[in-house]
Amino acid sequence: MQPTISELVNEDASLISRRCWSDEGVYALEKRGIFGKSWLFLGHESQVPNAGDFVQAYMCETPVILSRGEDGALYANVNSCTHRGLPVCRADHGNTRRFICPYHNWSYAVDGSLVTIPQESEVANRPDKSKLGLKRVPRVESWRGMVFGSFDEEIISLESYLGDMRYYLDAFFLRFPEGIEFVGAPHRWVLDANWKLPVENQLGDVNHGAFLHSAIIPREAQDIIEELGHSVVTAPGHGATFRLMPQDAPWQDVAWGMEAMGAILGGNEVQEYLREVQAHAAERVGELRARFKGLTFGVYPNLSFLWSNTSFKVSHPRGPGKVEYWSWAVVPADAPESIKKILRTNYSSFFGPAGLLEQEDSEVWTQQYIGSNIDFADDRPYYYGLGLGEEKPHPQFPGLVSVTANEFYARHFFLRWRDELMAAEAGL
Amino acid sequence: MTDQAIATSPEEQRALERFYYYEARLLDSRQYQDWLALLTEDVRYSMPSRVNVQVDNRERGKQQMLSVARELEGPEGSGNPLRDESYVHLMLRVERAYKINSWSENPPARTRRMVGNVELMARRDDEWDVLSNFQLFYARPGSRDVIYSGQRNDTLRVAEGGYRIARREVVLDYAEIEKPTLGLLF
Ligand code: FES
Ligand SMILES: [Fe+2]
Repeated sequence: MQPTISELVNEDASLISRRCWSDEGVYALEKRGIFGKSWLFLGHESQVPNAGDFVQAYMCETPVILSRGEDGALYANVNSCTHRGLPVCRADHGNTRRFICPYHNWSYAVDGSLVTIPQESEVANRPDKSKLGLKRVPRVESWRGMVFGSFDEEIISLESYLGDMRYYLDAFFLRFPEGIEFVGAPHRWVLDANWKLPVENQLGDVNHGAFLHSAIIPREAQDIIEELGHSVVTAPGHGATFRLMPQDAPWQDVAWGMEAMGAILGGNEVQEYLREVQAHAAERVGELRARFKGLTFGVYPNLSFLWSNTSFKVSHPRGPGKVEYWSWAVVPADAPESIKKILRTNYSSFFGPAGLLEQEDSEVWTQQYIGSNIDFADDRPYYYGLGLGEEKPHPQFPGLVSVTANEFYARHFFLRWRDELMAAEAGL
Repeated sequence: MTDQAIATSPEEQRALERFYYYEARLLDSRQYQDWLALLTEDVRYSMPSRVNVQVDNRERGKQQMLSVARELEGPEGSGNPLRDESYVHLMLRVERAYKINSWSENPPARTRRMVGNVELMARRDDEWDVLSNFQLFYARPGSRDVIYSGQRNDTLRVAEGGYRIARREVVLDYAEIEKPTLGLLF
């Protein structure tokens, strides 16, 4: 029997049913209630600087092409031919004037409009090509170069959707005069896990670090997080964690959060660069945010940002039990090439499909999915109650704030999730 | 790679193959510390990403169109290789393997690799460029069995007492990465 959503997540989201992670019916509601109605991350403008540039993206399981049209505007279209549904673009990225479908060679402009139907000259009634373009993602907006799309025509603006998350994201973005850029193609890999666990992990679960990753992360890192760590929820499903470094902390302890290994392996050149960035941080982001040493951020529903290893990630569902995880290394756009290379390595050595730390994360996400499928344990929902009710507004930063061990980031995610799925359940 | 392997004496060829068999045996019997001793301290160990590139119309009919190199985002380019590591990174990986809280290796994987197609491609003083192919079977409790397949593009330094690996580029054959990790020692 299909459980109802209100039975799966209790009123304060301190108890989360295993079925939330494993049930096909729940997943169908997630597609409609969340992925059909949210702003979803598509890519960064630095990936499509020129007319004709394109990159592939996904909105849940729907393949999408993000492109820069001849008119210089950004477009997102579903990668599926209007004639028989084949993908019209097979390359991961590139630059083109036309997407040509392999089957009957209908051709589409990079903005998705249908240009030619080779067979039409043979028939008397010519179809109206203006109605037969690729399915356009109705809303596409960008903020600080981050491009999002939504299938919901009525959705609020991207800026309002991000709300106070912009304050925290800007603590990173605005440190660099030219902003950031994405390096190369995303690393993408498939795991037997539910999409929400990578999201939850990056939304605020920094307290697994020194435990799960104790083979690599020293206990002292955890002590510092316990002493200086803050966890923030700006709106349900959006969160940020960071260390607020003391006013008199030496610059190398603050930098912009690039963690020890990367800075050490990078040698003097990186040290010098970090010092330079930190020297201008206060004038760029203000004295308070200059002391932020970020950990992980999340934007509802499935975008994550790992500040310490400079990576953006998207958790694309492939059913309740599979996820295609995408991650990009990001670098300050105006950094010298040599620094960019060190930064991308600081990401890929620790995160991504070969990452020393991510190896452990991938393992536990897979094992959690197995646990979420076992029988005779439905009366043991997962306990999400750590720190229940302890989050409070903060005199200096926006949002609700607490210690990082407080799982309120996850409870707020699931409260929003519950509302949106109940609406979908009611057919709204 | 269209270049021919260069001429080697049967002894040299046999010595190279023996080196790679020994290395494979060390890795499959989890003697990672001993494996580390096969590297030079200035080793560069990389694994390019593979992307699905756009077919360039002007390259139609040319060999270039099918070139493997076009699909690779390697350490020299401005893309994002899967791995680009130094001795320190490899040391970290090796040390990690000996810790009980390396949960993705506990219990450890059972691996078996076949190394073949060993070709000496170039000789520069004490540095030799050597290609080899591998197939690696990987089984671990709680995980699917997987096979890794790829090519290794090595630079070996010929030192007294044998060879040392000074550079290794691992080109993995994959369309989608459906492997539990690419962080193994290949
Ligand atoms: S299916 Fe695309 S042209 Fe026929
Ligand atoms: Fe982790």
